[in-house]
Amino acid sequence: MKQSMIINGKTHEIDVDGDMPLLWFLRDRLEFTGTKFGCGSGLCGACTVHVDGQAIRSCITPVNTLVDKTITTIEGLSENGDHPLQKAWLNNNVPQCGYCQAGQIMNAASLLAVNTAPSEQEIDTAMQGNICRCGTYQRIKKAITEAAHTMYKEV
Amino acid sequence: MSISNVSRRNFLKTAGITTGGLVLGVALPVNALAEKGIMKASGSSLNAFIHLAENGDTTLYCGRCEMGQGISTALPSVVADEMEADWQRVTVKQGDADEKFGPQATGGSASIRVMYQPMREAGATAKAMLIAAAAKVWKTSADNCFAQAHFVINKTNQQKLGFGELASIAANMPVPEKPVLKKKSDFNYIGTKLPRHDQNEVVVGKRVYGVDTKLPGLKYAAIVHCPVLGGSLKSLDKTDALKVKGVTDVVEISRFDVPFGSIGGVAVVADNSWTAQQAVKKLKIEWNLGENAVYDTKEYKQQLVANVEKPATLAAERGDIDKAFKAAKHKISATYTGGHLSHAPMEPNASVVWVQKDSCEVWASTQSPVDIQKVLGQYLKREPKEIIVHVAMAGGAFGRKYKCDYVHEAAVISEQTGVPIQLIWSREEDMRTGYYHSINAQYIEASMDDKGNVTGWLHRAAFPSIATLFNPSLVRAPEQNLGDITNHLFGVENFRTESGDAKAHTRIGWYRAVYAIFYGFSFGTFADELANKAGKDSLTFVNQLFDNNKNEKQQAQIQRAKKALATVADKSGYHNRGTLPKGQGIGLAVHYSFQSFVAMAVHVEVKGEDIKVLNVDCAIDCGQVLNLDGATAQMEGAVVMGMSLALSTEITFREGAVVNSNFHNYPVMRITDMPNVRVHITDSDEKPTGLGEPGVAPFAPALSNAVFAASGKRYRDLPFKPLAV
Repeated sequence: MKQSMIINGKTHEIDVDGDMPLLWFLRDRLEFTGTKFGCGSGLCGACTVHVDGQAIRSCITPVNTLVDKTITTIEGLSENGDHPLQKAWLNNNVPQCGYCQAGQIMNAASLLAVNTAPSEQEIDTAMQGNICRCGTYQRIKKAITEAAHTMYKEV
Repeated sequence: MSISNVSRRNFLKTAGITTGGLVLGVALPVNALAEKGIMKASGSSLNAFIHLAENGDTTLYCGRCEMGQGISTALPSVVADEMEADWQRVTVKQGDADEKFGPQATGGSASIRVMYQPMREAGATAKAMLIAAAAKVWKTSADNCFAQAHFVINKTNQQKLGFGELASIAANMPVPEKPVLKKKSDFNYIGTKLPRHDQNEVVVGKRVYGVDTKLPGLKYAAIVHCPVLGGSLKSLDKTDALKVKGVTDVVEISRFDVPFGSIGGVAVVADNSWTAQQAVKKLKIEWNLGENAVYDTKEYKQQLVANVEKPATLAAERGDIDKAFKAAKHKISATYTGGHLSHAPMEPNASVVWVQKDSCEVWASTQSPVDIQKVLGQYLKREPKEIIVHVAMAGGAFGRKYKCDYVHEAAVISEQTGVPIQLIWSREEDMRTGYYHSINAQYIEASMDDKGNVTGWLHRAAFPSIATLFNPSLVRAPEQNLGDITNHLFGVENFRTESGDAKAHTRIGWYRAVYAIFYGFSFGTFADELANKAGKDSLTFVNQLFDNNKNEKQQAQIQRAKKALATVADKSGYHNRGTLPKGQGIGLAVHYSFQSFVAMAVHVEVKGEDIKVLNVDCAIDCGQVLNLDGATAQMEGAVVMGMSLALSTEITFREGAVVNSNFHNYPVMRITDMPNVRVHITDSDEKPTGLGEPGVAPFAPALSNAVFAASGKRYRDLPFKPLAV
């Protein structure tokens, strides 16, 4: 029986070496290039995706640990690019080069899934693994707070 | 870096001559091309920068390279403004390497400075041609028409014709000799907070960077470089690497001794990047390390300090410094140092190159497509123009991607394997095979009279110069590298600049803000030390230093610098600093670089050895601002990069090789340390200047001054808190 995983709602057969990190399965095999390579060691967060809703570093996660798991990448975060975080990112003009932002957004989405109103310190703690070399941190913080408000204001 | 000057008229004249795939009609210069039958009338390129389709969709080309600094929004918005195009109808595309776009090598914060006027003229020219087209249709005069929001309107009867309807007619209109430019009060986009044109793509992961290029038949390469500059391959056993499933080739890459050529290495080619990366680790390589294997940055920095703390080679002199020093009431001296820095953009070096018998095509994150053409042309023995370079969005660059060694390597691999190659450097290779910011030492000695006027200033700097890339035999920085010392805006009558010996043992390159990093640091910090010695507050003292400058040519600059400094003093609460809690302090600095003025006030809290940056006020005067939000973002980013280099980042060499390898031992700033940054932008009618780099320089001195104010501890060495690696 062939092994597979579900990526952005579709089943994909794992037809590569089981040790291959998810990042390269996504980028080179499936050509989902929205997830970025930054360090290869789980130090920068550029490659962040969700496994069963939780943020993980795809550059250090072998595909053979993800059999039958549900993966969400930046391309699958929302139907029309309208996740509150994506909207808040646009509203605050967050990106500069933008390379790290997919990882930033995926990491923030994982935070907001479990914390409806993160404090500044909680944002810092959750986001400290995601480097932005252009220095957009101030706007990232603001956008996350704004998105949390949008998502949970009716709760 | 030097950027060639653009003659406005000549620029526009030559701008439209070359045709590309998308060009259906070219209007500059119209007559010559019409005669050759090149013009077609189904949609039109009004010039190299503007393509207008018959449905009105407008494509604006950006010739300068985008790496996050926002230039591909800023410059096209200028075109759209002058053209009276509706920004909602505009798509921005990055221009391939092509001289029709003018100078494309992107560095020195020069894009806006160099391209603002040509971009205005490109837009205004298009508008004039559209108006002329409408006037022809209506059989009225051009004066009776005006353009607004993608339409030309008839003043008499209010009839409207859309830009799209007019496109092909406009393409046949004569090019105006001298297009009329808009008044500032009529700007639609210039000076507003126009969002970046590409951010919608960024947030859904659809923005394509150099690393994202995919081609049919693409093979993936990984590389390991010779760890020492000047070394070479001694032996290579590729048996184990070739056994890895999916590996197809191992390619030796010799050092290519031209500026921006490969340092030399061995690459593995495979079906995917990961396999290639794994197989590289299985190569058994011995290197001849060569003479630079002695390089040790700890020892080297001590040597630089020694070289500036003794007489060095005279670079420039005015007045009589010896006399000033003899008559001094106070004398004070200090030595400042800084380490090598790695740019470490989030996207490591990456490109795709396909070398074929009759063609060579490149897709690369780059700051300088022209240099790719030059280097690959030299390597392949082809004309630079034969190298087709598609300029991809760079995932950060900061100066690193001006140098195309990584593209050259992909070309070597493609040439030898005959297939298109994507070469992505690992983070480790990126950090260890850089073009590093100069390690440096500066010694300043100054004299003051009894009123606190600085009467003499001796400034010695020693650092391996970027000029060593082009002339490796240089033993010290040439005089022109020290011009920013000699021409500093502080007014000191008796002044001497000296260059200390500093041979290069690694490749030195432009790093965001370049020499302004250490000149800003030494001038800004030493001024505060002098103020302290004179018993004056830093703001008063620095203003006095400026006021003592009687050079007529620098008066306008001095006023702008002083104004920026006054702004951050006012906004930061500097005047009420006496009321700050114990352990807090505010430090100021202002620096003029790349023709822009930036001042910063840094507010810190110091607890023991812990430095916490609370607030940063930043005032900029870059003349007419093109994009208020983009300018603000550049300053926020400059604070972050300034903070990394002031506090923590440093590249260390031992036995000729870089010790750092990844972000765990090259600790760039993270979100946890982000201060509250407030940016104050001067409303100015002066000619616009760039902002990519000037914000970096004033941060470190302002921080040093703030920490001193808060704790009495003076930091003179960058970074303040180096990690032991």
